[in-house]
Amino acid sequence: MTRFAVLVAIVALAPLIVRYPELETQILTFGLLAVAFNLLLGEMGFLSFGQATFNGVGAYVAARALIDAHAALPLALLAGLAAGAASAALIGALAITGRGVYGVMLTFAFNEMAFYIAFQWRDVTGGDNGLRGIPGPALFGLSLDDPTRYYYFTAVVVLLAFAALLRVIDSPFGAVLRAIRENEDRARAIGFRVRRYKIAAFAISGALSGLAGGLYAELFRFVPLQAIDLDTSTNVVIATLLGGIGSPYGPLLGAAIFTVLSNSLSHVWSHWPLVFGLIFCAVVLFFRGGLWGIADRWGRRAAHA
Amino acid sequence: MLRTRELTKSFGAHVAVDAVDIEVRPGTLHAIIGPNGAGKTTLFNLLSGELRPSSGSIEFAGRDVSRLDATSRSHLGMGRSFQRTNVFPKLSVFENVRLAAQSRTEQSFALWRTAASLRDVNVRAEIALEEIGLLGHRAQPASELAGGDQRLLELAITLATDPVLLLLDEPSQGLSPQDARRLIDRIGALAERYTIVLIEHNMPLVMGLADEITVMNFGRILAHGTPAEIRADPAVRAAYLGKKPVLSPSKGA
Repeated sequence: MTRFAVLVAIVALAPLIVRYPELETQILTFGLLAVAFNLLLGEMGFLSFGQATFNGVGAYVAARALIDAHAALPLALLAGLAAGAASAALIGALAITGRGVYGVMLTFAFNEMAFYIAFQWRDVTGGDNGLRGIPGPALFGLSLDDPTRYYYFTAVVVLLAFAALLRVIDSPFGAVLRAIRENEDRARAIGFRVRRYKIAAFAISGALSGLAGGLYAELFRFVPLQAIDLDTSTNVVIATLLGGIGSPYGPLLGAAIFTVLSNSLSHVWSHWPLVFGLIFCAVVLFFRGGLWGIADRWGRRAAHA
Repeated sequence: MLRTRELTKSFGAHVAVDAVDIEVRPGTLHAIIGPNGAGKTTLFNLLSGELRPSSGSIEFAGRDVSRLDATSRSHLGMGRSFQRTNVFPKLSVFENVRLAAQSRTEQSFALWRTAASLRDVNVRAEIALEEIGLLGHRAQPASELAGGDQRLLELAITLATDPVLLLLDEPSQGLSPQDARRLIDRIGALAERYTIVLIEHNMPLVMGLADEITVMNFGRILAHGTPAEIRADPAVRAAYLGKKPVLSPSKGA
């Protein structure tokens, strides 16, 4: 609870300290995507290498709802969330038939398929030009068409989604996911229908990813093809491992650092991924718990002293 | 309670379990023994549902379960343990058992309450740990338990699923003699409340414990009877030729 309070405080104060709300909104949406991804990896032990699929589906569906149906923003976001959940349940159900690395490769393959569909289906997605013409954000008649206002709107949505996810992790359902991670055969032997739990976990992860996609689409009123491409899936994996998979706060931290570094370093030096790659290798090789693991250990030591 | 009829499993040309008829009566501890390669483990996997029979049937509590998978059989009350320690290593001892108890509730898809608040489940888990004598280790990660204690935890997990029948697959495998003794004593205590099918390699342990023994060899039943009858059976003696000391009555059991 105290951690969550600290998170709320940081999110509330961030734009007052550093005035860069667009970037900070991106941190939130990318953070939500990483947190959703880590429900599968950190809790259930499944590496989804196609998390951008659900993000992209959510972004396109929310954007189409805003453009074609002039849907209210909350409804458009809900549509993106539902589409993310449905696509993830479907892909998850197929991907988990492959055990171990085959399951990973299936999420990868489906991501590639989704990307080509988005690339070809120009009428709906805008192809490689991206999807433009999304109306500006508004909530019950109040315009959110101001980066700071939209940041706070996004912050409320993301924090609520994060709080919901924390509850899911602590629930009996979350306990079953950890049982599956630790020993799938044993989970089955004590009577859990493992497949159902896996598909449900995919659906929840996809729902949050779709929501993240919808929020992202409205941020720049634009859905680039990048929202659904494999690079984004890879970035989610990198940011999450960097932050640490042992706690839901880890992926948030990783997403924040990844977003800030990729933005700032790319201005300084076009070969920034090289620097980032080195940092990433160092963390994965020497700090298995990720940066959150380090921070957590420091925190405990300070509490003991 | 549990009955097999002409139960057969073949892998290609090799018949691992050949027309086996076994009847396990309620309240008994029924041991299945036999030398390596006798088909004990295949038989066990058929009973637990890991394998489907090639032919023949398995009946549990008056119901044909031959085509049911392991999860369904578990829900009917057939609880199994594993030959090799099979726990949730990074989770606490309590959480290992709590999960097993949780699997018996309708609450496992509940997203909006905390797992720790399922009171019946907590109580069931504590009883299972108490029954097996691991309550003092409840907060430890399962992977940090000693080998013998891990095997006990394995049993506690099975007990927490509220089984009617316990299927135990070579529980003493890989344990030190002292740990094996301790485990067998626990199983002896459980035999007062559960029907148990025990597959075992370690014959002296079984002799003092079982009500009935079925001896398998080459996938078939070689002999069946009380421990005394088995000990006297010439066919069993022949199958275990050169291992005669193994058949001597066990002391202290």
